[in-house]
Amino acid sequence: MTPAGSLLVADGLHKAYGPTVALDGAEFSIHPGEVVAVMGPSGSGKSTLLHCLAGIVTPDAGSIMYNGHEMATMNDAQRSALRRSEFGFVFQFGQLVPELTCVENVALPLRLNGTSRKEAEKTALGWMERLEVDDLKKKRPGEVSGGQGQRVAVARALVTNPRVLFADEPTGALDSLNGERVMDLLTDAARSTNAAVVLVTHEARVAAYSDREIVVRDGKSRDMERAV
Amino acid sequence: MKQWGRDLAMGVRFAFAGGREGWIRVLLTAVGVGLGVALLLLTTAIPNAMATRDERETARSDMTFSATRMKKADDTLLVGYITTTYHHKNVRGRELEPEGPKAPLPPGVSAFPAPGEMVVSPALKKYLESDDGKLLRQRLPDRIVGTIGESGLIGSAELAFYRGAENLAPKIDGASVDRIKRFGAPEQPSDPLDPVLVLLILVVFAVLLTPVAVFIAAAVRFGGERRDRRLAALRLVGSDARMTRRVAAGEAMAGALVGLVLGAGFFLIGRQIAGSVEVFDYSFFPSYLNPSPLLALLVAVAVPAAAVLVTQFALRGVVIEPLGVVRTARPSRRRLWWRLLLPVGGLAMLYPMIGQGRENGNFNQYLTIGGVMLLLVGVTALLPWVVEAVVARLGAGPVAWQLAVRRLQLSSGTAARMVNGIAVAVAGAIALQMLFAGVDGQYTERKTEKVTGMQIAVDVPSGRPVAPVKEKFAATRGVENVYDLSEGYLGNTRTDPQNFAPVSVGTCASLRKVAQLPSCRDGDVFVLRPGDYAYDTKKMVKGGSKLWFDDSDDDRTTKPVAWTVPDGLKTVQGTADADRTGRAGFLMTPSALPSGADRLLTGELYLGLDNAVPDALEYVRNTGATIDPYNEPIEFVSSVRDKNYAAIRGGLFIGATCVLLLIGASLLVSQLEQLRERKKLLSSLIAFGTRRSTLSLSVLWQTAIPIGLGLVLAATVGLTLGVVLLKMTDTPVSVDWTSVLQMTGAGAGVVLAVTLLSLPPLLRLMRPDGLRTE
Repeated sequence: MTPAGSLLVADGLHKAYGPTVALDGAEFSIHPGEVVAVMGPSGSGKSTLLHCLAGIVTPDAGSIMYNGHEMATMNDAQRSALRRSEFGFVFQFGQLVPELTCVENVALPLRLNGTSRKEAEKTALGWMERLEVDDLKKKRPGEVSGGQGQRVAVARALVTNPRVLFADEPTGALDSLNGERVMDLLTDAARSTNAAVVLVTHEARVAAYSDREIVVRDGKSRDMERAV
Repeated sequence: MKQWGRDLAMGVRFAFAGGREGWIRVLLTAVGVGLGVALLLLTTAIPNAMATRDERETARSDMTFSATRMKKADDTLLVGYITTTYHHKNVRGRELEPEGPKAPLPPGVSAFPAPGEMVVSPALKKYLESDDGKLLRQRLPDRIVGTIGESGLIGSAELAFYRGAENLAPKIDGASVDRIKRFGAPEQPSDPLDPVLVLLILVVFAVLLTPVAVFIAAAVRFGGERRDRRLAALRLVGSDARMTRRVAAGEAMAGALVGLVLGAGFFLIGRQIAGSVEVFDYSFFPSYLNPSPLLALLVAVAVPAAAVLVTQFALRGVVIEPLGVVRTARPSRRRLWWRLLLPVGGLAMLYPMIGQGRENGNFNQYLTIGGVMLLLVGVTALLPWVVEAVVARLGAGPVAWQLAVRRLQLSSGTAARMVNGIAVAVAGAIALQMLFAGVDGQYTERKTEKVTGMQIAVDVPSGRPVAPVKEKFAATRGVENVYDLSEGYLGNTRTDPQNFAPVSVGTCASLRKVAQLPSCRDGDVFVLRPGDYAYDTKKMVKGGSKLWFDDSDDDRTTKPVAWTVPDGLKTVQGTADADRTGRAGFLMTPSALPSGADRLLTGELYLGLDNAVPDALEYVRNTGATIDPYNEPIEFVSSVRDKNYAAIRGGLFIGATCVLLLIGASLLVSQLEQLRERKKLLSSLIAFGTRRSTLSLSVLWQTAIPIGLGLVLAATVGLTLGVVLLKMTDTPVSVDWTSVLQMTGAGAGVVLAVTLLSLPPLLRLMRPDGLRTE
């Protein structure tokens, strides 16, 4: 299924780690501004699918087209540049750099793109305000709560105005209240910037924030039309 | 106490039950501790070795120190003293002639060598067989019939021989040949070791051992991060915080205990190696190097105890909770005052010895070692404060710099600890190199002096005509010129004179070598301008005074010979040769010598060498040995110590580099451990597009900033210590910048190597599969 106007399309993806097959002919597509949840049980290959789509892991076979460009033809530096400028990431445990303050963490992707520190931190602070964590700007990740840290991580993912946001179990380490708050803020912010969101989760509650669901099982994907 | 034992034992079990990784950790700790233990044991063995050496020296003593001559008996032995020098090495030699069946054998010798035979030390045997010893073999041509046993030698590298002889009795004079009844007569107290050498030895030990101690402290903390995670699991199943710390201490103790075993092994290997090393003419047999049991016991107890204490101390800032490890996020600000106390205390201990020099007795060894160690340990106390204070002021720069600086700001202690060992080693080595360079200068001064004219003096044996001896030396290879003078003393009275003046008799050509003569004819007499060795010349130069050639040194009954000082005696200026030999008094040409006086003079030859001929000096000594083996030609220029200093300096550089490499290895281990801890974070940074070069550069900055600060501090402390040591030995202070650069360069090189070696694992850890959780 490759609908016209897709921003990111994957077809026939295969990936194995030694004898373990993680992806076995998986397919995927997403439009700008769309939120797609990738669901499946533990070890089904959903995180591997996300890593392949983001250009973090190279698939053994299959094709991934981003904005009309085949990612398999890109070298590591080009894929890194793509991730820096076009993609954003949120992981389960935030993965904030512990020694940097929250505002420095949010500003980091901009700084990696060459933006000056002052300008990067100014933009970062704007995003922190939108995600209601601007009061934490001078604190280090070790000094904030899990929910606050995850919102800082969302701000960091969105600070470069990415066209695709990859979120791997973004609420996995949070209680339900904090999880909902993070999801509200994340999807609102993504929609406001027309960013596509690839949301890996095994929680139906979280998947409910998506426009469409893809279920991964034994390395194969299946598109589920939302029944609403 | 029982609980303590149980917890420590559990820790020991944990240490060995960790699979391959656990074993590697134990092994790394053990190798580090083992090297330290071996060095400690060797150090504690040195006093014993010196004592054993002294005992052996006394046991083989063959001097009677008696004014009365012993009579021949069936238990007497005639000994000729024929010690010689070859290539700046002392070769102890004796001629032996037993006078009866009960004559005593020297220690280490099973039978007397017959005339034409000799027994030699193993080192001399090897040397005589080598190319380097060819000329010495010409001097000692006798057939080798055996070797001297260990009990007759004072070191494995000692060059010694006993040669069979006959007809020694007529030569008995108490100096060249003597009669003895036993070996082991009370030895004259030996010259105390040069205080500067003692200082050097003390400082070398302190400088090499302090970083080893720092290294041991670091080694017992290997694998700390993973261990903390295991301990968190222990907390989950009910272990309290104290128990957990004790278990951790037990793990460290296991490494220290294995280290003790390895250390004993390294010590035994080191002991064998030490048996083949010679420093400042000192060598030991491996059997001499037995550590004092009490000190060895102290090492065996102190090292595991230190491992337990260091671990307890290290864990004081760590809270191990059941669900993970919490490092106190913002450790309290480091205080400077007590950190400054250490180096200041060290300086205070060394201060009383400043200006003492080598003339005023020994340096207090406790104050010296204490002062040096406090100064060096002061580096380890000051460095964390310096790193913290400096990184707190560093601004944010590019991303790599910012990541590194922020990391250091969060936990500068770990970084400072990592470079502590290197900083201490570099500081100590700089100080020692400075001391060596300063003291070396005092010895090389003589070497660099341009030697012209006479270089060697030879006594002509009494009763032998000078001319044939002179001819023999003149024909020797490498001898450029020879002149001879007959020397004696003039007294103011016929018997028991109170005033003396030296007198030298020679041809005008010979006299011109020692004095600037305006004109000279046979029959002339001169007097040298009074100098240090002129005795009473000034009182005896009056024309018409009657003087007597002194015979007090001669035990033959001879009639004193009178001589009248001529009027108008010319006073002349001495040459460089005269200054070198301390020549003074009257200078006479042969015709001015009264009849019969020649018997009261001693013939001396003075030789100038052709410096272009290699081994010219050894050819001269070989000629001398054929003429009179009891009196070796005297060399007036020596450079013996230069070689020793070069060897010590080389050894120090090698030792310091080994210590640096050892510390570098520990640096690498902890670096890799930290990187492994951050695997997930590194992968996520790569996921959102961070360049690998940015992260690599950040790792480099993280090491380079503390090491840079560490080296600056090390250079400062090293130079301070160097200045103090030079002032202690009363040596002019000068900074040997080459050494400073050499040692700081070596330190920086180690860090660069560690960073380069940690790059491949870093790149591996940055792979995106680090993000995988299943």
